[in-house]
Parts: sequence; C-alpha cells; structure tokens
Amino acid sequence: MNFFLYINRSLVFFFALTIILIFLIIIFHKQINLSNNNLSINEKNMANADILEPKFSINNSKKKIFVSAKEGNFLNNNEILLKDRVKFKSNDFIIETDKVIFNRTKQTAESNTRSLFKSKNTTISSDGFDINDRGNKITFYGNSLIILK
Amino acid sequence: MKTIFKIIIIFLFSFTTLGREKGETKITTDDGIEVFQNEKYYLLKKNVNIESDNFILSANDVKINFDKSLYDITEIYAEGNVKFYSSEFNIKGDGEKLNFEVKIEKLEVEGKNSKLITNNTQMFSDGYIDVNNIDGSFTLDGLNSKLINESIFIKGNSIKGIFSRNTEIKEITSLNIEDEEISYVKHNDTEMYAKKINFNNDSSIIELIDNVTILRNEEKITGDYGTLDTKNNSYKIKSNDQTKVKVIIQNNE
Repeated sequence: MNFFLYINRSLVFFFALTIILIFLIIIFHKQINLSNNNLSINEKNMANADILEPKFSINNSKKKIFVSAKEGNFLNNNEILLKDRVKFKSNDFIIETDKVIFNRTKQTAESNTRSLFKSKNTTISSDGFDINDRGNKITFYGNSLIILK
Repeated sequence: MKTIFKIIIIFLFSFTTLGREKGETKITTDDGIEVFQNEKYYLLKKNVNIESDNFILSANDVKINFDKSLYDITEIYAEGNVKFYSSEFNIKGDGEKLNFEVKIEKLEVEGKNSKLITNNTQMFSDGYIDVNNIDGSFTLDGLNSKLINESIFIKGNSIKGIFSRNTEIKEITSLNIEDEEISYVKHNDTEMYAKKINFNNDSSIIELIDNVTILRNEEKITGDYGTLDTKNNSYKIKSNDQTKVKVIIQNNE
C-alpha cells in the first residue's frame, strides 16, 4: 500500500495549524519589536528636533494649505524635514504621511513615505507625493489606489 | 475539519485583500496620479484599472476631468490598449483611445481595430466609432468600418445613423453610408453596392447612389441609382444613360 495512505489526516491538520500559529507568532512578535524600536527612535528624535510642532502654510490665489507635523529638522536655509503625523490641510482635502521635505521658499513638498489623501467622497493612497505650483499640482507616486464614493 | 481549513484560509487572506464596497469606484495605477486642482483634471499613469458597480475600464493611461471634486467626473479620456464594459448601457468595446463625456453620455472609441458591441449590434472601425446614448446617433469613420446586426451587414468608410430610443432592443431608424470606392449593405438575401447608401425606417426604403450593383439569387443588376423597399423586398435600378434598360424586379414572396 502507498505510504501516504498511512498518514493520519488529523495529524496533517494539526501539523499545518502549528505551522500557521508559529508563522503568526513570528509576525506579531516582529510587529511588537518594530513599534518598540519606533518608539525609542521617536524619543531620540524628539531630543534632536530643531522645531517641535512646526506649522507652515502654502498659499495660492484660490486656497491656503496648512502644513503641520510633530517635529521638524532644518536641512538647509529653505528645506525642513517634517516628521511624524505630517498633515497638509486645506478646505478641500487632507494629506497625511510620516515624513516630508518642505521647501519654505518654493512652497513645495516632497514625501517618499506611504501617504493618504482624503477629500469629499475620495481617498487616495500612494507610495509618496509631491506638492508643486503652490498647491495646484499634487503628484502621487508609485502604486496608487483611489476610492471614489 | 474542512470548515476549519476554510476559516483559516479566509482569515489569512483577509489580511491581504483590499475590496471595493458597493456604490464605490476603485481606481488603481502602477505609476501614480497627477492632480491639477485649478484645471480640474487628474492623470492616472500606467496600467490603469477603473472598477465600479456597473463599469469596468482598463488602459495604459487615463485623464479624468472633474467638476466639484475628484469624485464628480465629467469626462474620461483613456489611451493605450483600452478595454471597457458597461453593464448599465449593456455595451463593451476596445480600441487605442476612448473618450466618454459623462453628462451627455457620448462615447468615442478611436484607433485601429476599434470595437463597440451592444446586445444586438457590433461596430468595428480602424478610424473611430462615436455613439451618443441620449439622442441615439452614431458614427463610424475610417478604413474597415463595419456595422453588423441580425438583419443587416454594412461596410463603408463613413457610416452615420440613429438608433431608436425608448426601446430595449435598439433598431436603426436611419443610415447614411459613404465610401469613395464602394459601400456595401447586405439585407436578408440581397447584397447592395454603391458609393452612397441611405436608409430611412419611416419610408422603409434603401436608396443607392452612384455605381450601383444589386445581387440577389444569382441575379446581378447594375446602374447609377437604385432603391430597395425593405417591406416587400422589391427593388428598382435606373441608369443615367437613357439608352440602357432600366430593370425592375418584383419579388412576390
């Protein structure tokens, strides 16, 4: 008789279940470690931040976009690296992300971190974004998903 | 045990699946989106897929014009390997380019091997196919333009017509076909060639102008002007040259 016919079905099931549980435990463990690391990095960063809770705005003839974050670091005279809970908010939309380089003179912004755009009946998620032309042009990068309601 | 396996599989897949809820439109792109707020349009770049409850579209690149906000779409312009299906209008098609004006329900498919298929009519062209769902008008223009339905086959460089409205099955109420070389219409057992062919459903007459040939049951009649009555399937042919014999054949079937 074939060897495989001797294998107990419940044994196979419990073996598969054990592997799945181990797999899930590894994922959750890594996730917990990751958030702990982020927390310690954040604490270090807070101490190194040049500005706490920075606030800026991008102005054009039609609207004003308010920019806020938890902290910021000057990269040079014009550019500021905004970190942690970065928000771009106008009357029409909000964009949320983790890191943005904001240029005060050119009034531009550039982010390479996962971003979420929300406006009335619309959400856009992307791998990053650019704001140019004083907020008139917003470019979302990479694999992007739009949900329209 | 099978149920437990199913639950585990569903549980694992639920981490990775991003769905679309009813009433929502989901758009995905491989190379991002450019939003122009003042000009009120956005560009969807590379491998674009649009999916809603009653509309599916895929294309290389898409431009969407909007009115109040991004959701308020007024016009869709798609380019590159365009394929679409609308269950609401029971229409599907493909082409190199597509333009859909939402408010006036005007659809245009453009490019080589353009195709538009409704529940009872098929349209093909290497130029463009244009359909207006509100007034029922349609145009096929360019090489290899063809319109096919159960009772008629039409070929010509320019095919213009009107579909009946307020009926579930769209019937052609008027047709104007033109081709500098020759247009072709096959209706039941009769084949017709002419430079210009017109049809009016009210009079039920197919009018053939210039370089006319009618073929039916091994008979071939040529002339300069002809008419075919689709009600009794009879036809007349005239020639500009008065010395030629006019032919009238009555079909009493």
